[in-house]
Parts: sequence; structure tokens; C-alpha cells
Amino acid sequence: MYDKYTPPFTLNFEGHEISVEKDRENLIYRRTCSYETVEKILLNTQGDFLINPIEPVNLPKPITSFLLIDFEHPVVVGPGTKQKIYLTFPVETGIFIIGRNGDHELIDVLTLSNIKYTLYGAPNNGVVCRYWKSKAFTSYPHPDTRYEGDIELDIINDTTYWMEVTKAVFNAYGMKIYYGKEQLSMRAFMRIINRNLAETGFMTYTTTAEFKRSIELYTSRKIILNGNRGIMEHGL
Amino acid sequence: MNVTETISSLPETPETVLKIVGAILVLIIAIAMGKALTIYLQRSLKDKVDKGHLDIILKVGYYGLITLVIVVFILPLTGIESSGLLVTGGVLGIVIGFASQSIVGNLISGFFLIVERPIKIGDQINIANNIGFVEDINIFSTIIRTYDGLYMRIPNQTVFTANITNYVANVTRRFEYVVGIRYSDDAEEAIKIIREIIDNEPFALKNPSPGVFVDTLGDNAVNIIVRIWAPITEWFEMKTRLLWVIKKTLEKNGIEIAFPQRTVWFAGELQTRKVTDTQTELLPEARNMYPLAERTDLTEEIHGLPEMQEGTKEG
Repeated sequence: MYDKYTPPFTLNFEGHEISVEKDRENLIYRRTCSYETVEKILLNTQGDFLINPIEPVNLPKPITSFLLIDFEHPVVVGPGTKQKIYLTFPVETGIFIIGRNGDHELIDVLTLSNIKYTLYGAPNNGVVCRYWKSKAFTSYPHPDTRYEGDIELDIINDTTYWMEVTKAVFNAYGMKIYYGKEQLSMRAFMRIINRNLAETGFMTYTTTAEFKRSIELYTSRKIILNGNRGIMEHGL
Repeated sequence: MNVTETISSLPETPETVLKIVGAILVLIIAIAMGKALTIYLQRSLKDKVDKGHLDIILKVGYYGLITLVIVVFILPLTGIESSGLLVTGGVLGIVIGFASQSIVGNLISGFFLIVERPIKIGDQINIANNIGFVEDINIFSTIIRTYDGLYMRIPNQTVFTANITNYVANVTRRFEYVVGIRYSDDAEEAIKIIREIIDNEPFALKNPSPGVFVDTLGDNAVNIIVRIWAPITEWFEMKTRLLWVIKKTLEKNGIEIAFPQRTVWFAGELQTRKVTDTQTELLPEARNMYPLAERTDLTEEIHGLPEMQEGTKEG
């Protein structure tokens, strides 16, 4: 499903249909699913279409850049240790049009995953986050990439205490999503500073012809008013 | 004054004029530079700083540059001693302060509003029952655009001393419904249905968790309270949409929204008869009051009589 397509084409998956028709010099993009129909006319366009996963914070509309993953069971990490776990995250799929110069523009976003939001912290100073509940796996979970991707999370406990972690908050600025035929992944870390404070961020994978990096919608900003790291300051 | 003295005083006049013209030119250049600086800052910081902060940065940049140019260039150019200016300014300040207390009050209030920041540009607020969006916070007044699109200027002193309700200061907000169902309906089933609706609503927040519970056993209905937290940007749209969704879904599942109704129990057995033939079955009271017993359209009039209503009402 995640691939480059040359118009005209039609794609059916899980009750969704994506089609692009040619209309003289123009293209007509259609997406139908059970709850919504989207139709756009792309004027004087000749480009290809790229369908790939994007940062899962865009639907129903982007109101936050944060993703909160709620662990089904808490994870306990020993003092001064580094442990690896796997989590799942919701998949959002972006449909991009690619211009002649290789420039790209997002024209539609869809998902098969459940969409829910939550508050991390208190109503006066917390942040609204996309909510996702996940098991904490100790080995690669092989999720269905149409619905879920996986996060390989390194938890680094810099404290001298045993720490219980129940959630992870990630900032979409800096998210790096990779996809292949049967895998859709991110690599992240969580550095625990104290009981109420941790820092999260993303790392890169090695890309190959089979394992590509997604186009990022949320690129890092130049000044650090909203950096690309996630700061968990309202508890773990 | 003779002619010689007049001529001797002349050279000073062009020099003063030149100084004034020079000062004005420098001021114009400073204003132009301030504008250029404002445009540059606006372009470079537009995507990186929120509108409220950006507005303050632009004002500080603009007025700061002009003040700096006045102190560093214009005052020495015109030969005005800044220490003397301070003394003069102090005296003038006292005089002006007495003369224009409200203006100074507004100015100081504006300063504290900018420092304390109870409201920001774009916020939805209520100041002394003036509700709307904050359009601008100036040094003397605050501009509000009301929900019906009116321009409202409120002096800063009023803003500072009034109770301010900022509807969007926090990131989330709770709203509430009271859903009254019939006593004959299953309240647990209704709660389950409402919870499902909330679970399927993306912006009905998972945490703080929503509350759905039987609150009161009212006169006419079992009242279920529904409390939902939503992001501050989404709560109004959700509030105006979700109640109707709840009502329709409950009805689809056979649960009706109750309305006021009263069952009346009489101590004695009621003498009720159905009046089918007004010519033969007239009640005695009606016969006394209506001697025209032969009228055929008497049924409606009997029902219309206040003292006859109970006697003629069907069970």
C-alpha cells in the first residue's frame, strides 16, 4: 500500500477507495470510505502520487503535535540501566502529490486506527495529546501495518531509583517513521531524569531500498520555542 | 533694538532651524528604520512565535529603536540636556498627572496588563459582561470584537479593575448535559449508550475521564448527568452537536427523553360518562344552565365549562 503511484490508478483497502483520474490536463483525486468522501481537482498537474505513513497527530484535524502512548501494564526499570521495549502506535496515511522538481504536497490524510485524544498534565498547564493504548512488548510485536506501527523504545534510567513507567509522550516534531513491505517503525528513547520528568526523542534507522523513510510533515524548528524533543514533566 | 543688534542676532536663527530640521530628519529615518525592523521581525518570527508574543516583540522593537535614536542622536543634536529634560519631565509629569489622571491610570493599567498577561490577543474573554475576542491590547485601551462582530474599546483601567474571565486560558474545558429519561426506561442501558457515544468521539478526552451517572430522581424523569472534557478549541462545537446525537441514539434504542406529566388520583370514584348524544344524555347541571337542550352542538360547550370538566372527562 505504501508506495509511489502514477495516475490514473485505483486503490482499494479495508473499505477505503483511493482513485485518481485524468481529466485532460487536470487530475481528479477521490477518496471514499464509510464515513467520508473527499474529492479534489488538481489543476494542470502531471505528477506522481506517494502514499506513505505520516506522524499520527493529524486527524480529525491537527490540534496538537504530541502523541501519548498509554502502557497497558506499567514497566519497571532498574536504577542506572538501559532497557529496550516495543510499543505500537496508530498509523495515519498521507497522500502526497509529487511535482516535477521532486517537491511534494500533502493532499489527504486517512486512518484505519481509532482516534482519541487525552490530556497529559493538568487542565491549566498540561498538553492535549493524541491517545493510544499499547502493550509493552519485550520483542518485536509484528503489528498489522495498516493499523499500527511499532516503536523500538530505549528507556534510560538516569536516576538511582527503580522507576515505574506507565506512559510515553512523544513530540511529532522530530518523529522519523520508516516503512517497508511488512514493517512500519520508529526508534525512540526515553531518558528518565526523575520521578516526574523524562525526555523523549527519536533516532534514525538505516534506510535501504526495502526500508524507506517517510516524508516528515513536522520538521524541526530552527529556534527552540517548541523543540523536537518531548519533555514529560507531568509524570511517567 | 536697533538695526545692528537685529542683524547680529540673525546667524543664530538658521542654525536653530537647521538643528530642528536635522532632528526631524533623524526622527523620520528612525521611524522608517523602526518600520523596517518591525517588518523584518514579523516575517522572520511569524511561524515561530505566537501572535501575542510577536505583537509585544514588535512594539518593543519599534518604540525601543525610536527612543534610542531620540536619546542618542536627537537630544545631543538639538542641544537639549537630558538631565534638564528629566527635571522638566518630572515637573511636567506631576502637572500632567494631576490634569489627566484617567489617561495615566489607563497607561499604567496597560503596562500591568502586558506584564501580568491575564489576556492575550485572540483570547475569548468576558470583561464586565463584555464578551468577545481580544483584538488588540494598546497602551491606553483594549479592543474587543464581540461575538456578534461589534468593535468595542475598553479603557485599560476598566479591564485591570474588572473581573476577567478568560475562556481559553486553560488547554481543556468541561461541559455538561442533563439527560432526563422516563422512569420506565433502563438507566444503566442509557448510561452505556451515552458512554459509547463519548468513546467514539475523538475530542471527548480520555483523561480527564468523562462522567455519566444518575444524578437525581426528578418529578418527571430520571436525570442523568453527562460531563465531558474537551480541548479548548473544540468544546463549543462538541457541546452544540453531541446532545442531539445522544437524544437520537437513545431514542433509536427505545429510551425516550421524558417530559413533564402528572397523574391525578381522586379520593372517590369519579362519575364519568361519555357524552355521545347530547340531546338525550345531557347532565342535569348542563340542562339547568343550558335550557336549549335541543341544541345538537352542545357537547363542546359542556366540555368548555370549568365546573363540568371533571365530570365529563374520560378516564
